[in-house]
Formats: sequence, structure tokens, C-alpha cells
Amino acid sequence: MLNAVPLPAVLTLAAALFCIGLFGALSRRNLIGVLMGVELMLNAVNINLVAFWRYFEARYITGQTFAIFIIAVAAAEAAVGLAMVIAVYRHYVTVQADEIDRLRG
Amino acid sequence: MAFFLQNAWLIPFWPLLASALITLTPVRRMAMVSAWLATGLMMIATVMALGLLAAVANGWALHDGQLVQLAVHHGEHGAFAFPEPNVVQRFVWAPTGETALQMGIYIDGAAAAMLAMVTIASTCIHLFSIGYMAAHPRQSRFFSFIALFTAAMLLMSMADNLLLFFMAWEVMGLCSYLLIGFLYERPSAARAAVKAFITTRVGDVLLLLGIVYLYAQAGGISFGQDEHGIFFPPLLERLARETGVLGLSHAAGIALLLFAGTVGKSAQFPLHVWLPDAMEGPTPVSALIHAATMVAAGVFLVVRTFPIFTADPTSLGVVAFIGAFTALFAATIAVAQFDIKRILAYSTLSQLGFMVAALGVGGWVAAMFHLITHAFFKALLFLGSGSIIHAMEQQPSIRQIHHYDEYAAQQTAQDIRNMGGLRTRLPWTFWTYTAGYLALAGIVPFAGFWSKDEILLDAFKHNIAVYVTLSVAAFLTAVYMTRQWWLVFFGEYRGAQPVVFVNPDAPVSEHGHHRDHHHDDHHEHGEHWHEDPRMIAPLVILASFALTAGLLNLPFDLPFGHWLATLWGQEAAKLDPLVAGLSLIIALAGIAVGWYGYRQAFTSATDTDPLAARAPGLFTLLNAKYYIDELYAATLGQLTASLAAAWSLLDRAVIDRLIDGIGRFTFGLGKVNFIIDDTLLNDGPDGLASGTQGSGRQVRRLQTGKAQDYLIYVFGGLLSLAMFWLYVIGR
Repeated sequence: MLNAVPLPAVLTLAAALFCIGLFGALSRRNLIGVLMGVELMLNAVNINLVAFWRYFEARYITGQTFAIFIIAVAAAEAAVGLAMVIAVYRHYVTVQADEIDRLRG
Repeated sequence: MAFFLQNAWLIPFWPLLASALITLTPVRRMAMVSAWLATGLMMIATVMALGLLAAVANGWALHDGQLVQLAVHHGEHGAFAFPEPNVVQRFVWAPTGETALQMGIYIDGAAAAMLAMVTIASTCIHLFSIGYMAAHPRQSRFFSFIALFTAAMLLMSMADNLLLFFMAWEVMGLCSYLLIGFLYERPSAARAAVKAFITTRVGDVLLLLGIVYLYAQAGGISFGQDEHGIFFPPLLERLARETGVLGLSHAAGIALLLFAGTVGKSAQFPLHVWLPDAMEGPTPVSALIHAATMVAAGVFLVVRTFPIFTADPTSLGVVAFIGAFTALFAATIAVAQFDIKRILAYSTLSQLGFMVAALGVGGWVAAMFHLITHAFFKALLFLGSGSIIHAMEQQPSIRQIHHYDEYAAQQTAQDIRNMGGLRTRLPWTFWTYTAGYLALAGIVPFAGFWSKDEILLDAFKHNIAVYVTLSVAAFLTAVYMTRQWWLVFFGEYRGAQPVVFVNPDAPVSEHGHHRDHHHDDHHEHGEHWHEDPRMIAPLVILASFALTAGLLNLPFDLPFGHWLATLWGQEAAKLDPLVAGLSLIIALAGIAVGWYGYRQAFTSATDTDPLAARAPGLFTLLNAKYYIDELYAATLGQLTASLAAAWSLLDRAVIDRLIDGIGRFTFGLGKVNFIIDDTLLNDGPDGLASGTQGSGRQVRRLQTGKAQDYLIYVFGGLLSLAMFWLYVIGR
């Protein structure tokens, strides 16, 4: 059971998921798409944490705890992020990330 | 009684309060309120001073806060006896190392008599000023000044040490300066004020030197005969024994330096020149400061420090000489003056000379007695002259001049040639003035007779040369006073065609124009003579003193005789029928000569003076005051002017060039500096700045403002850090 799926396979999945999320966060023009990319990256990290716990330190429940905390924080971040998207939309009448460049130097 | 002794320090406080209130509060905008405020507070001070005098006269004294009765003592035979003080209150003012400089009040008979005299005279003059200054726009300021002056004079009278004495003395000098220059619109008044200030300063500097000398020798400057006082007998004996500078003993050196202060303040020869010019001030000022009180302060200084003078008779000889010389010298000038106030001013000089000469021959009581009687009758004469001038200024001929030149009008109003016949026109002034005249001439029983006789008696006993000089001066006094009195009050009124004073400061071209213009004015005509009751009341008070002040020290063994001598604890003078008779004969002879010489003189204002007709050269010399002013202008004035010119030359030739050179050198240095700065220092930072700017311009392109670009940078950075770790650190 434990060795049915080897650790490198799980890590590869997580890395793939992180890269998909990173690509989405960097390339999507829609701010909601960016947020979704960020969520994917967070979940990839969660998989990593759980995997390392399961394969190395199963006696302590450290990895799960971190994963649960990250899920909670991600939920809060999503709520704040969506609220900010709505605020940005109200102000600029757009949610296209490349059109919002007020910080340009 | 204890109240007056305890609170003696309040006497100068009242006028000081008046001055402060007028100067610092809105009272100054209300002329009449400030006038009556000053006069009212002066009256309170007078009551307290009279109470103090009564307490002192009854022999009461305060010892450690307890009221005690002093033993009456009549002085030793023929010598000055140091009187015991009645009140001494001191506090530590400035601790100086081991000793402490003390300040406080020191009241004995002499101080009490001075306080009473000053407050009475000052109150009369305040009262007079209310009428005299009523029309003046700066009335409040005037009262503030004379109140401050009175406070300083009272403080000086009760000062317990020479430093406090000197401070009050200087405040008086300041007030004198301010009041002489009170009518500062006139250039002559401003000049007279400066002249008075500078001339008295000569004496004051020497006086201060004397105080320092005394402090250095005695280690203290407090009055008193105990071991801390400057009159401690062993100390005086040492000062008289040891030789100081110029072969003089310390005592003589100190006494002569102190006496220099007297010469300045009491306007003795050769520093007398400021006093006649001081008549530029308003007449009440002349009466208060330049006749009754301040000029007597110099005499009072010698009175106060008399034990130092008696310690070495050398100094007394100088005092006697200067006094007698001034008495005669000023009396001769007074004979040939036409300005009513200037005659009185020279008379004041002469009378002060009498007092100083009296001190010089050891007549301490006589000098103080004459000081007090003279204050009353000379204040009376000055106020009388003020009343006359005030009335003269209302006359049409003077008012015409007033239209174009106010100063010339006043000077014309003061010219006795323009008066005449005022006996019936100003009756109150005439009778009171006559009292003052007879007192000054020395006619029995007026005050001046008794005090002058006492001076002559002392001179007769101790120094016959002084006696002769003073007798001649007394004769001349009677002559010039008779001349003035006769020309002012008798004969026909000559003011309708007056001798017009030519004002040297007035622009000549406007002169004629205005005069012609106002000759056509016919809205004022007819004489109008008026005596202000507020001015008459003080005259009457002072006239009563001029008549009766001799009672203070009658030379008879009556119950009230020798009152002042007893008050001051001195030996009482007895009447010498020979001296008294001679002085009366001299006075009567003077009056007779004056009357005979001037009985028919001046039928019109432009007539020649009879003396000028007889001896024109002598008259011109006297009229020009022996050319002393011109002499000073030609010597000291020229010296100062040429010194100033030399300094100015030095300034321009050396110092200005030096400064210019330094300036040019600095300018050249600056140029070199500029070049270095421009090439090295400026271009370096400039390059740095423009480099920063350019790189900034490049770097700002990274700042796209797009969130995703920043994310790329973050991951790029993360990646490069990871690479670094993997390939550099972690291997």
C-alpha cells in the first residue's frame, strides 16, 4: 500500500500542478484566472507537505497540520482576493491584469 | 512717631509710584489725572517727611526696631560733631567675597531736614506746574519726570552709603537732562540738555573715582561712625596720615575727588557753564531742579562726607576757595544779564558758592541752613518769574512773535527790558516776588538774612579773605536783585515795543514774511493780564517760608532758637552784632546802589543799560559771561573737534584702507576658490547626479506597474537564489 505509489511520482504531480498554477498566474489576463492559478500553486504545496509527512515522519501529524492551515489561509486569501477584484473592477471597469498599471514608474 | 521712623523708606516710594503709574498705565493719556496723581502722592510724601522730621526733632530713634530717646547733645566747641543717626535700616545687597555690600537708609537730622525741604518745595512746584503746564501736550510726561526726579532726590537724601547716593545722584542727572530737553523741538533746548549732561558727567566720573578710592582704602562705603562706617575715627586718622598720590594724603585725595562731584552738580567754577543754559527747561523745572534741590545735592554731598573733609584741612581750603570764587564770579555776571531766568540762574550759582564756601570754612550748620532757606526763596523767585513769563506770553506784542517763532517769543517774554510796571498788573506775583527778593538780598527778618549772616560769621571767624569775597558777592547780590526787581515791577510797561530776541536757529527768509503777514492781523489787541490761582497758591506758601524760614535757626537763646543746630547736634552760633550789622549795611547799600543806578533807566525797551553807558567794555565782558563758554568752545571744544577730525582722518587713511584691502584680498581668494570649485568640486557631483539620473531613467522601465511582471521578477529571483544554493553553496 505504502509503496504502491512511490514518492517521486507524488512529487512530480505536485511540481506539475505548481507549474500549471504558476503559468496560469503569470499568463492569464483575467484577474480571476490569476487567483485560480495562485490557488493551484497553494494546493501543489499542500500535496508536497502531505507527501513528505506520509513518507518520512508518519508518527507526527506535522504535515497535515500545515496543510490544514494553508487551506484556511487560502480560503481567506481567496475571499480577500475576490473582494479586491470586485473593488478593482468598480474602479477601473476592467479585470484585465495588464491594463491595470498605475504603479508604472 | 514710630510709624514715621519705621516707614521712612516710603517717602521716596510715593513719587516713584506716581512716576511709574503715569509712565506705565493708561493714566498717561489723561493729562489732568496724571498731574493731580503726582501732586497727591507728593503731598502724602510731604506729610510723612514732616512726621519724620518731627520724630527726629524730638530725639526719637530706632535701635533694633525699638523706639528710644537719644540724648540731646550740643556739639563740641568750634568743631563738627558727628550726629548720631536716628534710623539705620540695611539689607545685604551684593555679597562680595568675605564682606557684603549693604544698601539701606540712614536718617539723621540733616537727612530729615533735607527730606522735609525737598518734599515741601516739590509739592509747591507740582502744584504750580498744574497751572503752568496745563496747555502743554506732553503734560503727563512732565509730571512723570519731575516725580521720578523727586524720588531720586529723596532717596539720595536718605541713602546710607555712597554707592546708593551716587545711583540716586545719577538718576537726578538723567531727569535733569530729560527736563532741560523737555521742549526738544527747540535746538537750543536739546543743546542745553546735552551740555548739562556732559558737563556734570565730568564731575560725576571724578566722584565715582573718589568713591572707588574710598572703597579701596576703607573697605566700605557705608555712612556711620562704627568700625564698618567710613567715618570711623581711627580710619580717618589713618587716611589723613598716609600719603597717596601727588603728595596729598588719602583723605585729601578722596575729599577732592568727591568735591569734584559737587563742582559738577552744584555748578561751581569751572564746571558752572551748564546751569545758565539749563534755563531752557520749563520754569518749574528751573525752580525745582536747578534752584532748590538738585544743585544743592552737591552741597549735601559735602555735608554728608564732611568728616573726610575735616580729616585733612587741605581739601577744605580748596572748597572754600572754589566756593568764594564762584559766589563772587557768578554775582558779577548776574549784574549784566537781561534774561530774568538767567539772572536767577547766576544768582543760584552765587548762592551755591556761598554754601560751598561755608563748608570750606567749617560752617556745616550755616551751609545746611542756607541750603534750606535758599531752596525756599529761590524756588519762590523762579516760580514768580514763571508767573511773570506766563503772563508776558499772553501779551499781544509777544503773541505776534509767537505766530512765527515760538522760541523767540519765549525769549522775548523773559527779557526784563520788555517788562516794567508789572507791580499793579500782577499784584500777587509782585508781593511774593518781593519776599523772595528781600530774602535773597539778605534783609532782616527774611530767611536769607539769617542764613547768609551765619555763613559770613563763620567766614569772619575762620578766613577773612573768604569773608571779604563773600561780602562783595552779597553786595552784588543786592545790586542785581534790585536791578531786576525794579526793572520788572516798576516804571512803565515797555513790552508793547519789545526788544525782539533773534533766534539763531530760525530760518531768516521765512522770518520777514511771517512777521509782515501777522502785522496785519488785528484779531488780538489790548493787554490782558492774568494770574492763575493754581500758580499763586504755591507762591504764597513759598513766600511765607521765605519770610519765616529764618526762625528755624535764630541765633538767639530763645526757646525756639538754634532749632536746626540742635536738630543736627551741633554747636549753636551766637549772633555777632558787628557781622550782622555789617551784612545788613552791605545789603542796604547794594539795594541803594541798584535803585540809584536803575531808578530812571529804561524808559523804553531799547535803551542802553546804565552800566553799559558808564563802562561799555566791562558790561560787554560781564554780559558775555567772561567768555567762558567761548573759551571752552575754543579750547576743549576745539580739542575734541580736532581730535575727532584726526580720528576721522586716521579712520579714512588707515582703517578704511585696511578694511578695503582685506575686502579685496578676500574677493581674490573667493575667485580662486570659485575656479577650484567649478572645475573639481562642481563637475564631480554633477556627473554623479546625472549618472544617477540616467540609470534611474533606465531602471524605471522595469517598473511596468503590472502585477504579473512583478511576479515574474519574484520567481526569477527565487530561481536564481535556488540555482545559487544548488550550484555554489549546496555542492
